[in-house]
Amino acid sequence: MFGKGLIKGLEITWGWLFRKKVTVEYPDKKIVMSPRYHGRFELDQDKCIACGLCANACPNKVIQLEKTKLGKKQILLKYVMRIEYCLFCGYCVEACNKDALKFSSVIDMNQYFRDKVRLTLVDRPAPTPEEIAAAEAEEAAKAAAAQAAAAKAKAKGEEG
Amino acid sequence: MKTQTYTLNLGPQHPSTHGVFQIVLELDGETVVKATPVPGYLHRGIEKLAEARTYAQVIPYTDRMDYMAGMLMNWGYVAAVEKLMGIEVPERAEYIRVIVGELSRIASHLIATGAYAGDIGGLTGFIYTFRDREDILDMLEMISGSRMTFSYFRIGGVAEDFPAEFFPAVKKFIEKFPSCCDEYDGLITGNEIFQVRTKKVGVITPEAAINYSLSGPVLRGSGINYDMRKARPYSVYDRFDFEVPLGCNGDCFDRYRIRILEMRQSLRIVEQALEQLPEGPIMAKVPKVLKPPAGDAYAEIESSKGLFGAYVVSDGSPKPYRVHFRRPSFINLGYLGKLCEGWKIADVIAILGSIDIVLGEVDC
Repeated sequence: MFGKGLIKGLEITWGWLFRKKVTVEYPDKKIVMSPRYHGRFELDQDKCIACGLCANACPNKVIQLEKTKLGKKQILLKYVMRIEYCLFCGYCVEACNKDALKFSSVIDMNQYFRDKVRLTLVDRPAPTPEEIAAAEAEEAAKAAAAQAAAAKAKAKGEEG
Repeated sequence: MKTQTYTLNLGPQHPSTHGVFQIVLELDGETVVKATPVPGYLHRGIEKLAEARTYAQVIPYTDRMDYMAGMLMNWGYVAAVEKLMGIEVPERAEYIRVIVGELSRIASHLIATGAYAGDIGGLTGFIYTFRDREDILDMLEMISGSRMTFSYFRIGGVAEDFPAEFFPAVKKFIEKFPSCCDEYDGLITGNEIFQVRTKKVGVITPEAAINYSLSGPVLRGSGINYDMRKARPYSVYDRFDFEVPLGCNGDCFDRYRIRILEMRQSLRIVEQALEQLPEGPIMAKVPKVLKPPAGDAYAEIESSKGLFGAYVVSDGSPKPYRVHFRRPSFINLGYLGKLCEGWKIADVIAILGSIDIVLGEVDC
């Protein structure tokens, strides 16, 4: 019979009318993203050693970082991601040995203006000469203490 | 009375061209006298961009070709680099590749069939296929973190192992999906209007299909039994039991129908691969900086649109000297001009939709 297929189709669509909805009303309700979701980037400043592996791994040169020396340690001064060029491939996060750079589940990164898209994760002033001196002094004290402890241990070993 | 033909630009901004694609139609009334496809509006120069990236950094760009099945695009490229370097991929990684690849194929075919129903005028079918594609995207998001441009494959394996939450999700999907296919059959395939619009329209003869080097569902729709997964099994495809659906008339309806049948077969492969999934590493031992020996390699896989090939030339440096991709959509499109001749404008839409092109892949 001609029209049988049409009636079958209507049966299917009408059947769904009485079943649970599969959509959510977006702005009011939001779906939870999976743990691995590639959302906005997060950077843990304390964990970061400013090695620049993330910037090297990036196919599009998205990551721009400035670093300085504080004592023997390297610290970040600026960490800017040009998100407008980002492919969200996750190579930078994969490259990070210290687990400092991570993805979050934030999905709304839209901006009205192009210059606002840029993501600045670290932007801090350069350390003052006093801070550098303090860091160096602290490191020197630490080294001296370690040396003293080693000498003590050695003396103890000789005694025993 | 003296009459003359009339030129009509279909596209580049037309919803039925599935992206930025133009066909210049020369019409005699409503009948097409000559059709000239004009691709190139989405050209980004991925092959050239690859020359300025390291071997690993090219992978995210391959995603942007056939973005409906990004996993399969990844696969073609990494297979070529692995062939070039002689890397043996661990078994578990191969199985993971098959699973995500087949899920991607289903997702791509869901778009093809759903959008085709939309092209013909039944937008309802489109909504239903999209609903189930969402489930696949959710699963792939669990695995790779992205929903469309996955960059999940690595040279020598895959990026991460399956998360624990993936297994119940895929099990639920395998249970549910056959009934979804029945729904598409009821909504789209069985619809008389759809059948009248597609049956015996845009017939591709087997000879023409071979001569124009068509591949994928477009080739199999003409009844030629050629599927890379069966004809020249790569990866671990020789270990699965599945069939290659074939058409008999080579018309639009057959090309559409084959995709529905292929989805059912892909589901069977996923099911078997999950059962056989071995334990073990997911990455081969690969040096941090990839420097393949000077030479070239070509690898092919069966993507959702047809034979996807990647040709990589190395000069021994960390960056590829030349990369070329054989994109099935582009080659399948080569026959469009001839195929449209003699049909009405509305049939041009039906024919174009049945070839299932993705402009990201056509223009690369």
